[in-house]
Amino acid sequence: MAANFWSSSHLKLLMDQEEVDVVHSPDKERGLTLEEFKYIKMHMANYIGKLAQFVKVRQRVVATAVTYMRRVYTRKSMTEYDPCLVAPTCLYLASKAEESTVQARLLVFYIKKQLTDEKYRFEIKDILEMEMKILEALDYYLVVYHPYRPLSQLLQDAGMTDMTHLSWGLVNDTYKMDLILIYPPYMIALACIYIASVLKDKDTTAWFEELRADMNVVKNISMEMLDFYDNHKILPEDRVNAIINKLSLKQ
Amino acid sequence: MEKYEKLEKVGEGTYGKVYKAQDKTTGQLVALKKTRLEMDEEGVPPTALREVSLLQMLSQTIYVVRLLCVEHVDKNGKPLLYLVFEYLDTDLKKFIDTYRRGPNPRPLPPSVIQSFMFQLCKGVAHCHSHGVLHRDLKPQNLLVDKEKGILKIADLGLGRAFTVPLKSYTHEIVTLWYRAPEVLLGSTHYSTGVDMWSVGCIFAEMARRQALFPGDSELQQLLHIFRLLGTPNDEQWPGVSSLRDWHEYPQWKPQNLGRAVPSLEPDGVDLLSKMLQYDPANRISAKAALDHPYFDSLDKSQF
Repeated sequence: MAANFWSSSHLKLLMDQEEVDVVHSPDKERGLTLEEFKYIKMHMANYIGKLAQFVKVRQRVVATAVTYMRRVYTRKSMTEYDPCLVAPTCLYLASKAEESTVQARLLVFYIKKQLTDEKYRFEIKDILEMEMKILEALDYYLVVYHPYRPLSQLLQDAGMTDMTHLSWGLVNDTYKMDLILIYPPYMIALACIYIASVLKDKDTTAWFEELRADMNVVKNISMEMLDFYDNHKILPEDRVNAIINKLSLKQ
Repeated sequence: MEKYEKLEKVGEGTYGKVYKAQDKTTGQLVALKKTRLEMDEEGVPPTALREVSLLQMLSQTIYVVRLLCVEHVDKNGKPLLYLVFEYLDTDLKKFIDTYRRGPNPRPLPPSVIQSFMFQLCKGVAHCHSHGVLHRDLKPQNLLVDKEKGILKIADLGLGRAFTVPLKSYTHEIVTLWYRAPEVLLGSTHYSTGVDMWSVGCIFAEMARRQALFPGDSELQQLLHIFRLLGTPNDEQWPGVSSLRDWHEYPQWKPQNLGRAVPSLEPDGVDLLSKMLQYDPANRISAKAALDHPYFDSLDKSQF
């Protein structure tokens, strides 16, 4: 909806890794570790993606929803804000903000149809109540910038549009981490191009040099992504359940 | 909401009531805009969401009225959203009226017109750089601080619906006077030019102390425009005769624009003529307008 990242609230809301990695005290009291905190967020990002397939919304809506969810947990605890409800509500809210509204009724229908697990089942009124709470937690800042647009522009500039598919997929994967809260979207796009070029054995050194982007940042992002691919690609379901039970979210 | 004491109703905006209020602890004056949330099965209406998030984004400049915070209240189970804005004492319509009517009718000082136009173009440029069209710029939507000579854009994001509403929910007719010809002719792909047309109409109105094109129907509105600027044709405005609501109109020749704004200096007339170009593609952008010679004599360091 908007074109100027540099004067946006998104830029002002960027945080340091250390700030993002704070486990809130109610969660800490229940024994949630930082690693588990990240696990749950990753799992919920996957869950949002899965729901999005049922209700058929664009990747952009998924990306915005995941960003909302991650922002909420920089400010609120999982004990107070049940991730199993926050995740679908963020998708609901993002669909409105991105002008492709999904009916709450439809969302609830698919949740019930696809997930038999009791802890994921909610009614329309639960989603609507949580919507208001999330809006307040986000301070009504709903405009989010994503790496997708800079990615296409940069690939065009580099004359590497043949890598669009691969790097687009890499960008999708960045939402499994907190990168969107920490780095400007174009930096994330650059890191994805960097990884794609390494995978495809393309020499992009000269192009990166000419860009004069901060390669330390690009490499930091890339390292985190590679670390994710090495360690976390498959998230064991029982592990997730154990953590959620620990939080004993649904009374 | 107990934080604020409502002082008076200051307006019935297109989308809801507006109150002047005071923060009980700080004494700060604010404008409260009440938005009813028609919460049915679908929660917060997307229009309200977009409005609030756009305002959050755009009100970071001094040329747009500042959204201080958003308050959510439940009144007898009915959810309401209060948008809390900074308070300015008047708007441009009332401001112009004080020069037209009253005990001492006189023209607006040229330096005030110049300064207001600069601030208006700054604000519009800010919105456009964020990809946001106002779509309903008019003197009532421009708030003015008389003492400080400040002008700010208000009611932003309210006009973001795909079509500008003809009737507000209070059934007050929405004014057509500032509406660009492409909108009047039913174009669906309009862009930043619609705001620049409105800016031009507002510019002329400050110089004339009355509206440039005071039409009372869409047809009348077009005829007002054609009578002054000439009936457009495909040569000066490619594609105009294929627009949805185009008909055959009487053929008028363009009049001398300067005669419609006799008090305006030549540079001002030149800028105005660039804002009132028929072909939206030829209309000057807000950003380019800021560099127009009309503003050369303005002390820009104050902004």
